Amino acid sequence: MINVEHLHYSYKIGKKGKKSTVPVLKDVNLEVGKGEIVSIVGRSGSGKSTLLNLLSGYITADSGKITINDRDVTNLSEKEWAKFRLEHFGFIFQNYELIPSLTAFENVELPLTLKGVPRKQREERTQILLESIGLSAHEDHYPNELSGGQQQRVSIARALITEPDIIFADEPTGSLDSETEEDVLKLIKDLNKNRNITFLMITHDQEVAAIADRTLKIHDGKMNQERGVYFEAR
Amino acid sequence: MKLVDQLGFVKRNMKKNKLRIFMTVLATTMGCSFLIVLASIGFGLQNSLMEEASSHQPLTQITVNGKMIDETYHEVTEEDLATIGATENVSAVVPQSRIYSHSEVTLEDEFRASVEGIITNFEAEKNSNFRLSEGEFPENENEIIVGYHLHEVLNKFDRTTLEYITTGDSNEELVSYDSNLLGKIVTFSFMDDSSETVFTDEYKIVGIADEPARDWVQDRSVYIGDERREDLLSLAGQEDFYNNVTAHVASVDQTEGVTNALKEEGFMVYSISEELRGINVFFTAFKAGLIFVGTIAVLIASIGIFNTMTMAVTERTHEIGIMKALGANPSVIKRMFLFESASIGLLGSLFGVAIAYGVSIAANFFIPLILEATTNSEGIDITFSYIPLQLVLIATGISVTVACISGFRPAAKATNVNVLSALRREA
Ligand SMILES: Nc1ncnc2c1ncn2[C@@H]1O[C@H](COP(=O)(O)OP(=O)(O)OP(=O)(O)O)[C@@H](O)[C@H]1O
Ligand SMILES: [Mg+2]
Repeated sequence: MINVEHLHYSYKIGKKGKKSTVPVLKDVNLEVGKGEIVSIVGRSGSGKSTLLNLLSGYITADSGKITINDRDVTNLSEKEWAKFRLEHFGFIFQNYELIPSLTAFENVELPLTLKGVPRKQREERTQILLESIGLSAHEDHYPNELSGGQQQRVSIARALITEPDIIFADEPTGSLDSETEEDVLKLIKDLNKNRNITFLMITHDQEVAAIADRTLKIHDGKMNQERGVYFEAR
Repeated sequence: MKLVDQLGFVKRNMKKNKLRIFMTVLATTMGCSFLIVLASIGFGLQNSLMEEASSHQPLTQITVNGKMIDETYHEVTEEDLATIGATENVSAVVPQSRIYSHSEVTLEDEFRASVEGIITNFEAEKNSNFRLSEGEFPENENEIIVGYHLHEVLNKFDRTTLEYITTGDSNEELVSYDSNLLGKIVTFSFMDDSSETVFTDEYKIVGIADEPARDWVQDRSVYIGDERREDLLSLAGQEDFYNNVTAHVASVDQTEGVTNALKEEGFMVYSISEELRGINVFFTAFKAGLIFVGTIAVLIASIGIFNTMTMAVTERTHEIGIMKALGANPSVIKRMFLFESASIGLLGSLFGVAIAYGVSIAANFFIPLILEATTNSEGIDITFSYIPLQLVLIATGISVTVACISGFRPAAKATNVNVLSALRREA
């Protein structure tokens, strides 16, 4: 499903004359199979988000190779990436990233709109998903009229609506209380089981890591395969 | 992303900031209507001038004079008529000869008028679109067509003294015939140099010419068929030549070609359209100048569009970041912003056109009134402002194009929004 080989990435910082590079990822290797839930842990600033950004195509690697769904995506153009993301990925962001001027319903519907799905079909699918996620009652609310947990659920629904192959989640429960967190984790688990969606999650949270099949740790820019503090799969 | 959905987003975004969009559209409206009103003066004045010019002689008519060969003038000959008639696009050649001697028409030995005798070919007149107000073209020798005002100039006279009779009242006006001449038998006669009547014959009036285009012209012509032209001309003591030959074409745009062709044949020609060509060149330049000045107003409005769009992009950076992160095509995002600025341009020009029409109508109504009042003259009939469809299209084209151009940079900026920095900038 996801295959990463010898990935290197460093940030370029500073203005003219005082340029320098900050190496973040050094020779990262990673393999994730279909239907797996993999959690990534590591200290703050270790490069977890950077890895996810590379896999999502938001930034381009200095060297190395990324293969997703048997396609070499390392050197895709911006347009090709956009298409690929829409086709295969769902995203759950740490701070939800809902569009404030769209209602919950429209936010969930957005990926289908971007894909060019006909309106009727779009609305039907959104309706069903919102029901299953328990948000029908709030579908006409704007993001600022929803609680944090509700917003997070809307963003999860938005990640799911296109029935993607892979969902990338950066701290999906970061801003939730423990009870809501439990609900969200249960939802992820169900989706993984019922729809065979692959999850790649970044987390600081033991509870989250606990539902993962594997936990990977990034340390010093390197990936430590299947080792780490939270290594106690289900 | 479907076009309807893109337009839906554009509409939603525009509604979100109504006041700002309204002000921008207002500026565009003002620029566009200024452009149209300004240029419409050029179109209006040109129209008035053309109308005025073509009332002297139809634009489809070309007057053909003889040839200048070795510095001697040769009149138009029978042969020349055939050459002219054979020229491409010439639909008719009308050979007229005027009788220069004093000519008269008398009716029922009671009314008399001095007239202008014209010998012509009715077949050719018919083909040249000679218009009758009543009756039809003569079919045989003793039938004639008379000018529109003949009945007015036919005045009562005393059979013995041959003097005109006046009304008994203090006005001392002549008594006109003043009723329909169609079908009447009249006597046409003319004199020679020594005032001897040399020709008299009776004719039946079968047609009455159309009213002349210009109000002050009094048409007292008598058109006689050319069956006896040689006799008539020799009786009048005139040489046998045509003194008014006109070639006619079907449409105005053929006039120039025919004029040139006839010139090449060596004829000395004159047509109103030739005269107007210089004027038209001037007006084309004049209108272009007015449109240019008007465009500056649209350009000023475009600064507003640029600002509005730049603000819109800045405001929506976060939203754009989210859409790109989810997989929105960058060119779709660009297109949505271009649509938005194009809509501003389009709305502006729609309102602009409407307002320009209003201003134009008002100007055409009030300016003559003001001129009449200040100059104490009456019946000023000039179109000051005329807005042809062409001008509407030009102005709309300019406004929308300028709007698109000013939206271009903001739209490109939107396309280049960096996903990560947009998302990092907290909502
Ligand atoms: N835009 C950037 N420019 C320069 N350096 C950056 C940039 N973004 C991140 N970094 C650096 O890269 C390193 C890794 O950052 P990253 O965001 O991947 O960490 P992380 O593991 O996600 O941390 P956290 O758990 O706090 O989210 C950090 O040391 C950070 O300083
Ligand atoms: Mg992070």
